[in-house]
Amino acid sequence: MSAPAGVGPAVSLRGIRKVFPGHRGAEDTVALEGVDLDIADGEFFSLLGPSGCGKTTLLRIIAGLEFPTSGSVRINGREVGLEPPDRRPVNTVFQAYALFPHMTIADNIAFGLRMKRVPSDEIRRRVTEALELVRLTGREDRMPSQVSGGQQQRVALARALVNRPEVLLLDEPLGALDLKLRQAMQLELKTLQERVGITFILVTHDQEEALAMSDRLGVMDGGELVQVGTPGEVYERPNTRFVANFLGDSNLLTATVVDDGALRLADGSIARATAGRPVGSTVTIALRPEHLDLRHADAPRDAHLDAVHGVVVKAFYMGSAIYYDVVLDGTEGMLIEVRQGNAPGIENYGVGERVRVRWNPHSTTVLAD
Amino acid sequence: MSTSTGLEQDAVRAEARRGLLIGLPAIATLTVLFAIPLIIVVAYSFGTRTRTGRTDFSTLDLSAYQRLADPLVLEIVSRSLGYALLTTVICLIVGYPFAYHLATRTPRVRAVLLVLVMLPFWSNFLVRTYAWRVLLGSDGPLVRLLGALGIDDVVLLFTPFAIVLGLVYGFLPFMVLPLYAAIERIDHTLIEAARDLHASGWGAFRAVTLPLSRSGVIAGSVLVFIPAFGAYVTPELLGGSRTTMLGSYVVRQFLSARDWPFGSALSVAILAVMLLATTAYFRTGGRSL
Amino acid sequence: MSALGAATARLRRPRPPRTLAPTRAVERLLAGNAWLVFAFLYLPIIALVVLSFNDNRLASVWGGASLRWYRELVSDAAVLSALRNSLIVAVASTVVATALGTAAAIALERFRWRGRRTFDGMLFLPVIIPDVTMAVMMLLFFVQVFRFAGNMLGITGAFGLTTIILSHVAFNISFVAIVVRARLAGMDHVLEEAAADLYASPWQSFRHVTLPLIAPGIAGGALLALTLSLDDVVITSFVAGPGSTTLPVYVFSLVRRGVTPLINAVSVLMLAGSMLLVIVSLSLQGRRTGGERRRDGQRSLPSA
Ligand SMILES: Nc1ncnc2c1ncn2[C@@H]1O[C@H](COP(=O)(O)OP(=O)(O)OP(=O)(O)O)[C@@H](O)[C@H]1O
Ligand SMILES: [Mg+2]
Repeated sequence: MSAPAGVGPAVSLRGIRKVFPGHRGAEDTVALEGVDLDIADGEFFSLLGPSGCGKTTLLRIIAGLEFPTSGSVRINGREVGLEPPDRRPVNTVFQAYALFPHMTIADNIAFGLRMKRVPSDEIRRRVTEALELVRLTGREDRMPSQVSGGQQQRVALARALVNRPEVLLLDEPLGALDLKLRQAMQLELKTLQERVGITFILVTHDQEEALAMSDRLGVMDGGELVQVGTPGEVYERPNTRFVANFLGDSNLLTATVVDDGALRLADGSIARATAGRPVGSTVTIALRPEHLDLRHADAPRDAHLDAVHGVVVKAFYMGSAIYYDVVLDGTEGMLIEVRQGNAPGIENYGVGERVRVRWNPHSTTVLAD
Repeated sequence: MSTSTGLEQDAVRAEARRGLLIGLPAIATLTVLFAIPLIIVVAYSFGTRTRTGRTDFSTLDLSAYQRLADPLVLEIVSRSLGYALLTTVICLIVGYPFAYHLATRTPRVRAVLLVLVMLPFWSNFLVRTYAWRVLLGSDGPLVRLLGALGIDDVVLLFTPFAIVLGLVYGFLPFMVLPLYAAIERIDHTLIEAARDLHASGWGAFRAVTLPLSRSGVIAGSVLVFIPAFGAYVTPELLGGSRTTMLGSYVVRQFLSARDWPFGSALSVAILAVMLLATTAYFRTGGRSL
Repeated sequence: MSALGAATARLRRPRPPRTLAPTRAVERLLAGNAWLVFAFLYLPIIALVVLSFNDNRLASVWGGASLRWYRELVSDAAVLSALRNSLIVAVASTVVATALGTAAAIALERFRWRGRRTFDGMLFLPVIIPDVTMAVMMLLFFVQVFRFAGNMLGITGAFGLTTIILSHVAFNISFVAIVVRARLAGMDHVLEEAAADLYASPWQSFRHVTLPLIAPGIAGGALLALTLSLDDVVITSFVAGPGSTTLPVYVFSLVRRGVTPLINAVSVLMLAGSMLLVIVSLSLQGRRTGGERRRDGQRSLPSA
């Protein structure tokens, strides 16, 4: 899990563990366990995972708002250890923005610079710049409650960016916005990050957001970082059942290793894939529904593709595509979902029809668990 | 993989130190000016009164507490309980519809009315009680009004009536404010739902409003009962020799009888009743007073 | 939709039902009860004010309006000295209790430390303890302190303004702490974290973020402390010494001897004082919240 070669990592985490002691006899919560992560300078990195998996806790540990039970945190090579948040070259965009309600937008943005005792004419200049950057010029004298949610979000962004932090942390910054605004802000955020060149670490629930915006992303589950990679790597090659199902939909099939390059599926057919496990062991493979297609069971075979047979039990018409549920031979009611593009000339299949489900061997992913 | 660096413990310890440091002045003050005095009172309650009115600690015993069972003391205690309970009930009966009325006004009217309720609450308690002494006195306007109506020789002042009236007057805002807060919080759609399910207006009130304002009823009752039970100024100004309440009786032990052990035992007993009342309050799910 | 159509639609749309408001008859009863309660709350006060202007010594006989009693009052040395004592005690105990109570609220609401729960319980006791019990506690405490100081250190202590102020501090800390704590609990802790994240030291974060946001709570707590201090009779009378009588204690002793128009006048002044205090604080609060909208940023952070 190392950063792309080149410059040293902006953030480097080693063996991060965080335990929240249970109060009055309640059990302790292990919020983070053995997290190792390097994030490169200037990278847009996303942390993705279900609710309660520890994303916010990890972010707070980098910000200094929480201290790890054990492990080390380095920012640009410097161990920050017990440094309080006000000594770290890191700024945060909080989930509900946390704008100071008793200060104007300009005063909110200037806050960090004033605390650092930047000369006042420089403060004025940089606040003006920051307002331009987030397109809020002319609103600087309003109170936070007098601007819209999207504008508040941009104030929070400006308030953090104006300090030119080495790393910017964003905790679900778009979570409170409606879908349309969120999509517009995603684009804006990405463009902004490229412009200012600051390392961004974004926490999100939203897989599409993470896939669309990040250079790399990390998937978390139950306090552990389960996979880190580019969006393409993580989506195309999920390493565990959890990742395969959390990011998009996956069909999981059980198979037995026959020899180095071949697996036997439940109906006896062979899938070409390298498991890297001893012959005879059982593995799970993942197949994306959109990587599968259907043919009549008696259509001629294509030697380049792997295939299993089954019976269509349901067809969902979704406009641009049709989803089929297929029960595979040799399994007891095990369903596989197929997403068949709906172009002119593509055949439709009815319920009860015997079909062959085919895929390119390259799209087979053997999971680690 | 993880090596314990003790970072967290250090941080937690530093925070604990800072918290304690900030709280320390108040802790020290309250320890000296509250906890120690409390201990001293308890110590006195186990002493005995010497003939000269001093307190003898050489024989710590329960004699002061035994005197709590004197018929006279029991009479005063039960009178105080009775007045306090009566006051609480009257405040509830008058205060609930009043709070309900307040809570159903438009926000603007509500704000004005609330200030009008708060204003006497913030005004001097002694003076407000004194006003009743003037009003109820034998040459006061009320007695003269009754006289003009042909009702002669009524004595209002120095009666249980005057005391309970004064207590209700003094503590009614304590009942109204939590009731108002509880009723105002109730989601209107719940009542609509009850009406929609064929409850009558009264039925909806009983099924929704009353149970949901229970916390206000309990908080208000505790807030009225506690000061009413320990009241001193009101019974002193509006009561007579045959309506002595516990507060006055305690004061008498110190200022005239000079029986400090007995006065201390009474104080400890009052404190125990208060603690019981508040514990009961928290047991029934009450939040902070 | 045409303008006419829109208008009729608005007419036809049922007015939102005032569901909490019951039927007309019940509504009238409730309104009647409300009027009676307000009359009950205010009539005694009004009567007192009127009587304080009565030239006649007897409350029952109207001798015409005059300022006679007020004139008598301002030349009454005992009243003036009691008033002076009251103000000294109230201001001193309020200042101390507000500082200590606010600190206690912050320590309890924002930090975790051992003994926190015990302290929380101890802080709660003075609120529920009746005045008489508190009075007994303070009396016996000072008696012991004086005895100890006399025997061990050879210092003679005496009851006076200091003992009164200390006693008022003892019960006021808790009230201030409770009011301020409620305000703190309503203030999102994430704002302080945001300040720290923006390089504010703990002190700067308190100074620029926490303090301005809990200021109304502190003011409310201080007002409560001031009121309670000016209200107190029992505790003060237990720990007062010669010459340190406060106004309520003085009035109380006068009243027990009998009602006089002079007391009416003193009472009206005390009432006016407390009402003035409340009205000033209410209008200050009103300006604070109203100003938020109007201010439009002319105000800026005091530069760090
Ligand atoms: N201060 C705390 N005290 C005790 N437990 C905590 C604390 N903060 C977080 N936790 C627990 O740690 C775990 C991780 O919480 P965290 O807030 O990091 O999750 P998250 O991934 O950000 O979730 P979400 O997506 O819902 O925001 C949860 O089980 C949570 O209950
Ligand atoms: Mg979170």
